[in-house]
Amino acid sequence: MVLETFHAVNFAEWIGPAAKVWLIAVVALLVGFALLRWLFAVLRQGPAAGTLSALNFLWAAAADLLLISPRRTLALAGLTIKESMRRRVVIVFAVFLILVAFAGWFLDPGSNQPARLYLSFVLTTTSYLVLLLAVFLSALSLPADIRNHTIHTVVTKPVRPSEIVLGRVLGFAAVGTVLLGLMAAISYVFVLRGLDHKHDFSAAAREQLAVMWRDARRNDSTQGIAVSTDRVQNHRHTVFFDPAQETVDEQGVRRGAIRTDTENGHEHEIQYVVPAEGEVQFVCSPPENHLLARVPIYGKLRFKDRAGKDADKGVNVGDEWTYRSYIQGGSLAAAIWTFENLRDDQFPDGLPVEMTLGVFRTHKGDIEKGVPGSLSVRNPATGDEAHVRTFASREFQTDLQVIPLEFQTGDGRTINLFRDMVADGKLEVWLRCVAPQQYFGAGQADLYLRARDASFALNFVKGFAGIWLQMVMITGFGVLFSTFLSGPIAILATGGALLGGLFSDFLYQLSQHKVFGGGPIEAMIRLVTQQNVVTELPPTAQTTVAKMLDKAAEQWMWLIWHMLPDFRVLSFSDHVAYGFDISWGLLAMAVCQTLAYVGPAFVLGYVFLKSRELAQ
Amino acid sequence: MSAEVVIETRSLTKVYRDFWGRRKVEALKALDLDVRRGEIFGLLGPNGSGKTTTIKLILGLLFPTNGEALVFGRPAGDVEKNARIGYLPEESYLYRFLNAEETLDFYARLFRLPRAVRRQRVYDLIEQVGLQRAKRRQLREYSKGMTRRIGLAQALINDPELLLLDEPTTGLDPIGIREMKDLILHLRDQGKTILMCSHRLDDVQDVCDRIAILHQGELKELGRVDSLLKVRDMTEIRATGLSEEAKEEIRQVIARHGAQLLSCDNPTATLEELFVKIIRESEEHPGRRVRGVA
Repeated sequence: MVLETFHAVNFAEWIGPAAKVWLIAVVALLVGFALLRWLFAVLRQGPAAGTLSALNFLWAAAADLLLISPRRTLALAGLTIKESMRRRVVIVFAVFLILVAFAGWFLDPGSNQPARLYLSFVLTTTSYLVLLLAVFLSALSLPADIRNHTIHTVVTKPVRPSEIVLGRVLGFAAVGTVLLGLMAAISYVFVLRGLDHKHDFSAAAREQLAVMWRDARRNDSTQGIAVSTDRVQNHRHTVFFDPAQETVDEQGVRRGAIRTDTENGHEHEIQYVVPAEGEVQFVCSPPENHLLARVPIYGKLRFKDRAGKDADKGVNVGDEWTYRSYIQGGSLAAAIWTFENLRDDQFPDGLPVEMTLGVFRTHKGDIEKGVPGSLSVRNPATGDEAHVRTFASREFQTDLQVIPLEFQTGDGRTINLFRDMVADGKLEVWLRCVAPQQYFGAGQADLYLRARDASFALNFVKGFAGIWLQMVMITGFGVLFSTFLSGPIAILATGGALLGGLFSDFLYQLSQHKVFGGGPIEAMIRLVTQQNVVTELPPTAQTTVAKMLDKAAEQWMWLIWHMLPDFRVLSFSDHVAYGFDISWGLLAMAVCQTLAYVGPAFVLGYVFLKSRELAQ
Repeated sequence: MSAEVVIETRSLTKVYRDFWGRRKVEALKALDLDVRRGEIFGLLGPNGSGKTTTIKLILGLLFPTNGEALVFGRPAGDVEKNARIGYLPEESYLYRFLNAEETLDFYARLFRLPRAVRRQRVYDLIEQVGLQRAKRRQLREYSKGMTRRIGLAQALINDPELLLLDEPTTGLDPIGIREMKDLILHLRDQGKTILMCSHRLDDVQDVCDRIAILHQGELKELGRVDSLLKVRDMTEIRATGLSEEAKEEIRQVIARHGAQLLSCDNPTATLEELFVKIIRESEEHPGRRVRGVA
């Protein structure tokens, strides 16, 4: 699997600089706002009275923000929860149930990666439903209160505006939490049940096996045979029965437990009992190893070109997505990952190297067979390199190669991995493409050491925690906008923030003039005049004006891009679906980013509410 | 400021503006008012005269364009003052998805009352406003009169020192009106200060100690109700046990002084008459305070 964001996250290194930038931004925001407030007050009331009024406002704001009463805030949160129930949030839950109930019709468990499909479905569905709900609930509540004047009976109690804003955020967050919790539980059961299946053997396969066991009773040296299971969920497994691995008791009953091969991302364990007389009993386990939370150790990637010289990147094969860089087969080109801080006690059973490679074929070759590649290890200190093995790539499929702790090279040397190849915890893994005229594509996160597996259930919960954080973030924005905008406009603004956050990368590209077809005005002209996005527009005055306007719009988009949160940072759906552990560092980073936005949104919301005449 | 004064407004002015900041209407013009502790003060005026604007300015729901409003000596925008205030808005703006008990419990929690006190007060107030039978029904099912009652109960939830009542008898039946008036008087007897505004002149006349009459945002009259309603060019003499001779003697004395005896009882004008007179005079002479009535 590939995700560009799958880099190693070191929270301890990230938090310092990030907090500094955040502090600067928040202080600039606060100072800017205080100056504006002062300026308005001076313009309205004159210098002395205006300054006094601005200082009074700041003083009251400090008190309102520091002296928040938990009891009042909880009372307001409780009211918000009741209001949400009245607004029938249950309907969203019902929609989710309906979607899940009918999902079984269109989700194909026989597809290539059914676990990924199922997990992506539940995570995406939940996240869209909950985020949409958060947009509507949070943006409509306060404007409705103001429109209905119910806010009058609240603010005439000793309630601080800060408590109203915080109560709202907490209330909606609580509703979202309960809803998400229920959805997560149902999703988990749905995924497990949707993927659950067992295999059996056909009469022909059983007959083959019966012959094998009959021979085995007569002759201890009988060789094993591979048979296929029946086809369930559009796949079958190959199972290798080896009489030599079976136990035989005094009555001649043979017992064995074997694992199937991996198909559609899972395997099974089959236990069987072969009585001296009668039917063989097979017990097939539910699918295993399909719901994973791999904990990868990432290395740093560099390249060698076809002449064996250092290169920043490999070859560009014309792929628009520049994440992967390609190395030419049958040459000295290599992709090299350098791993650090490796200890032998981390890897008692060898070094598990897992990779997902892109393959670019310049000729078709034998399409049934993978393109051969070679894997070597190299000692970064001595430069000593040892070839580990040659393998056939499985394009875009995750492939696990375990490098043994001790192995023999082609020239007969015996290599002890940690003693001979690891220097100061550092090890280089070299990947080469063996087939001439074919290419391997590799990116930073394409090859990693699979240190261990974490709990999938916990990872699933962490995935939902990501959705929860997004929901809290949107709630913060919704409540902020609802303090100074009317309901429909607040919905638009919150929805805009959500969309901007989800497509922040596109926004950035647009602001940097990196998108084909130009900015919004130019794109509109192309749309209306039906011109493609690549041809230059004719050099008319109209085009010049459009480009100037776009230039201005790009500045705005750049500013908005800087201000909006990047929702992809909070989305862990791909981690869960592709079976990668969401590290605690990544989660902590997401929590910090959420707080970094929700905190200022709360303060701004308070300021707007405090500055507003609620009875007008 | 005197300790007796609970509400004080000084040149309190409110100009409503449109989105672009242009003046729409001057709702209140330099209002100076004092409401003293323990009195029932009535704000009177036709629609759009600035009564509700005054109450909202005092509560901090609106910000003054000029001047200031002080409540218990603190600015109207101060949150702390609300702990001693009860407010019954014109339309009982309450959460219709809550029932009576939940409503009162919610507002009580905003005053951070302990659970036991809260429960007792909710129980007492529901009984006081006569909603025991409907206490579990959502407010959306309430009649207007019932909504006023629960509105009043929420205004009293904190046992306030100062009550601001906006049209307290609106929507009540005659018995409800009588009960409301009795309750207002009872609250005054308990030492509470009440500022109310009403269209119902008889209500104001029955319960208010002092009134202010507003028209087009200006204060037109201010004073004690009994003194304002007194007809000064007439004399009312009340006596018992006068003999016919004595009465005749009084008549002669009146005649000797060139006066004309109308009857033995001096009439009292109704508040309605006073109100209508003030409004008409104000319309004939805008911008001038009506004099000579009091």
